[in-house]
Amino acid sequence: MNSLPDTATSGPEKPGPAVGGAPAKSGAPAPAGRTRRHRDATLPPWAFVVPALLVYAVVVLYPSLAGVVYAFTDWSGVGDFAFVGLDNFRTLLNDDRALESVSNTLLLTLAVVVVQNGIGLLLALGVNANIRSRSLLRVIFFAPAVVSPVMVAFLWKYVYNPDNGAGLNGILGALGLGGLRQDWLGNPSLALWSVAAMVVWQYAGYSMVIFLAGLQSVPAELHEAARIDGAGTWQRFRYVTWPLLAPALTINLMLSTIGGLKLFDQVYAATNGGPGTSSETLSTVLYKEAFVFGKFGYSTAVALVLALFVAAVSLVQLRYLRAREVTA
Amino acid sequence: MTTGSRSLSEPVPGTVSRRGFLRAGGGVAALAALPPLLTACSSSGGSDKVRIVGVADQQKPIEELLALYRKSHPDPAFSTSFAPTDQVQTVVRTQLAGGNAPDVHVLFPGSGSAMSMVELAKAGLLTDLGGQKWTQRIPKNFDPAYRHDGKTYLYSAGSSVIGAIYNKKAFATAGVQPPRTWSELLDVCAKLKAKGIVPIALGAQTPWVTQLISYALVPNAVYAKTPGFDADMAAGRAKFAGSGWADALGKYQELQRKGFFNDNPNGTTYEQQTSLVASGKAAMAVQVSAVLANFRQATPTPDDLGMFPFPGGDNPAELWIPAGIVVGLGVAAHAKNPAEAKAFIEFLGQQENINRWATAVSAIPFTRDATTEIDPALAGFLPIIDANRAVPFMDQSWPNAEVQPAHFAAVQELLAGKTDVAGALGKMDQAYGKKS
Amino acid sequence: MSTTATTPRSTAPKRRPRYGGYGLELVMAAVAVVFLFPVYALVTLAMKDPAQIADSPLSPPAPPTFANFGNAWSSASLGPALLNSTIITVISLLLLIVLGSTGAYYLARRARGLGYGLYILFLLGIVLPFQLGMIPLYKLVDDLGWLGTYHGMVLFYTGIQLPFTVFLYTGFIRALPQDYAQAALIDGCDHRQAFTRIVFPLLRPITGTVIILNAVFIWNDFFTPLLYLGGSGKETVPVGVFSFVGQYVSDYGLVFAGLALAALPILVVFLLLQRYVIKGFAGGLKG
Repeated sequence: MNSLPDTATSGPEKPGPAVGGAPAKSGAPAPAGRTRRHRDATLPPWAFVVPALLVYAVVVLYPSLAGVVYAFTDWSGVGDFAFVGLDNFRTLLNDDRALESVSNTLLLTLAVVVVQNGIGLLLALGVNANIRSRSLLRVIFFAPAVVSPVMVAFLWKYVYNPDNGAGLNGILGALGLGGLRQDWLGNPSLALWSVAAMVVWQYAGYSMVIFLAGLQSVPAELHEAARIDGAGTWQRFRYVTWPLLAPALTINLMLSTIGGLKLFDQVYAATNGGPGTSSETLSTVLYKEAFVFGKFGYSTAVALVLALFVAAVSLVQLRYLRAREVTA
Repeated sequence: MTTGSRSLSEPVPGTVSRRGFLRAGGGVAALAALPPLLTACSSSGGSDKVRIVGVADQQKPIEELLALYRKSHPDPAFSTSFAPTDQVQTVVRTQLAGGNAPDVHVLFPGSGSAMSMVELAKAGLLTDLGGQKWTQRIPKNFDPAYRHDGKTYLYSAGSSVIGAIYNKKAFATAGVQPPRTWSELLDVCAKLKAKGIVPIALGAQTPWVTQLISYALVPNAVYAKTPGFDADMAAGRAKFAGSGWADALGKYQELQRKGFFNDNPNGTTYEQQTSLVASGKAAMAVQVSAVLANFRQATPTPDDLGMFPFPGGDNPAELWIPAGIVVGLGVAAHAKNPAEAKAFIEFLGQQENINRWATAVSAIPFTRDATTEIDPALAGFLPIIDANRAVPFMDQSWPNAEVQPAHFAAVQELLAGKTDVAGALGKMDQAYGKKS
Repeated sequence: MSTTATTPRSTAPKRRPRYGGYGLELVMAAVAVVFLFPVYALVTLAMKDPAQIADSPLSPPAPPTFANFGNAWSSASLGPALLNSTIITVISLLLLIVLGSTGAYYLARRARGLGYGLYILFLLGIVLPFQLGMIPLYKLVDDLGWLGTYHGMVLFYTGIQLPFTVFLYTGFIRALPQDYAQAALIDGCDHRQAFTRIVFPLLRPITGTVIILNAVFIWNDFFTPLLYLGGSGKETVPVGVFSFVGQYVSDYGLVFAGLALAALPILVVFLLLQRYVIKGFAGGLKG
């Protein structure tokens, strides 16, 4: 393995030796702070952000702004519409189906955020260790994320077959754990959690990849130094790895929170919000309003409220996590 | 550039001038950000082709008939696109809303869904097919499915019936025959159950499957006694609660209480229901005839599968059944190739092509001649249809698209023991009362 | 430039770090088995005809049939679809990497005031429900005459995935030491050179992540290609595979065979990328 540190002279096109994203400041574990002020000349000029901003504005900002208008109309999604002021928002206040779906949305998000990232981190630590099968293991853990979410739901319906001899129940029976068999998607109090488990299975490897990028930025020599200083495994994790994982953790927590709150494909394809309305989330409600019930205007109002809510949650989260990154 | 971005920020529907400006000017910011090589991949938008967008279940008949049509009409070119029902519904509605309607697209009969004939006709998005010859042969009682305000908007080859698809071997094992009355049905189920065979497979995890048993029972429970029930509902003179619907859902529950369904119907999918019957673990499933092909491909011995009218009443001579017009096609009002689109529909309306389409989806053609071959499994249904004791699927006359999903949810809650018949019907009445 | 060669980074140790141990290897293998079960289910289903699936969906296929793979390949036109998917994915990825990393570099280094505001503005893009802008965007792409074209899809994916990409890059650039780039600037590099020669190579691990996570999204996306490309002959792989899924009649053996074929290229890319990323970074690790 080549370990020359002078990547600086080789362009990005050359896959030669690179120092990697080492936030190494002479062995100091804390990431480089933003506290220092720089002269303007060292800051990147506008030209760096303008192209990205333009494409983003055309594809996301302008259409979304234009779409907001529908929230104030009675549009069915086709044909003519009239402006109805704030009626849609008033309707939302009395819409039991939408309001009941809020708690499902929050529970699902919480479960997915905690479990997916917990498992994702453990997987990342496992496959970042020097074991023989790690390349293969990474592919295995990431494989579920490669399959389209709707198809994952189709597949898991075979796994969740309530029949005693089939799928997961069959395996539990074969392992002598027949008592744990469940009607996974048919039991109204279990369906939401079954969907959560499916999502965690699919995206734990996704979180793993992001954590892995963070772990790969931890210079090996820091670990070596800590080891020589007599630090145990836990101490090395707590005081070397964990602080340097802060950016990856921020990214993972934010992405899974937003993803959880907006989760649609898996829920819709797996349970359609059922049995009854027991696994309905805000996303399934707003999809049904728009494209099944033909109430596009109202659905846009729900979408807008959802967006504001998610934005508020993410901003709070971002502030906290960023502050934490600096002090970690 | 500046004018370009100003016109972009107008939240009003696109106008011809803006479209022209964007195409000609090419001054949109995005263009600048994309490497010029991309424009080399450019091709025509495809508006010269006649576009057909259908649901996956229509792929077989449309592709077969389009290939035939193209033999005699090599021009113009057609493009087809098929996808699962939910996604197609979303795609077509977006394209209609975006002013880029496909020439021919999937259309559901009657009212009661977001892509139904009435819903789109009211929005002025469909072309009247009334001048075409085949429309004169649509039976009068099918009018609500095909026509709105005297104009014909839907092309559909015919109807699909709901009944019991059964496994003859399983019936033979228990020594039973297809039942002709409700009491016989209960008796047959008890005998099957005693032999360790699930009498009725139910895949209520799949939403649309939940409605089939209600639909099979409601014609006898409601329309046999009150043929004008739909009109009464529309006029507010009747409600689901307190109507024959309560008897129907009561019978639905009775089947569950007696243990005649598989365990955990709410967790069992349509695919699992299919395999229960195909493998003989279950004796029958209440299903729509359109699924016959799916059931048959699920067993190495398709001849073991038959179908009989599901007896909702106790007089075998007065049995009513549900028969709904199958999902069809419409021509968009703003089609870019209206003449070509209508010519293709006219072709589909020829008797032999109606027969072909009907055969591909195990349906009964709305008009029949000597060459019409009907799936032998459906033989028992024809006399009932010809005696005018067939009722369209109930949702096709519901005033908005919320009643059907409310029915799905109500049945799942009934099966889960989370509600009772009155509660379930209350929810449906509530949905029925909403404005479309 | 020369200053960067004397970075404070110490020479990476030549010896390998300790082997993680058989215990860990065993535990991870056990977890892998759990993760593999649904994958096993997929492969099993893909190797069965409808009657076998109905009989016992998840038992090992006996005998396995490979007919589904051939049928899926031909009836979903997977050959051309793979080409379409590859063209759209690769060009979108290139643009995402260029626009995302440069944009993020700006946002990460100007983390206050307007820079922070812009960062939040980008973040908003992850939050906004797709449905909100769906119809206006469709109209826009139609007005441009870009429906049914590769560049329409490339524009869509680049725009829709930019917020996510910028978010990933910004987080990591903020954690990078600024010394290198500053030194380069002092040495007379301009910003573009400092970025391409110093900063971007340091972003290799996160660029690997950006590539694979965006690739997964773009490769699997089904709805937009159906909406924008349906009937154009430029359909992507998921559009082909989903056309087998009917309400009444579906052949899941065919669906899952198509799915397995569709997933393979991404898995191979991931495997290669992992090796490349690890090699590039891990001075002392066994690659």
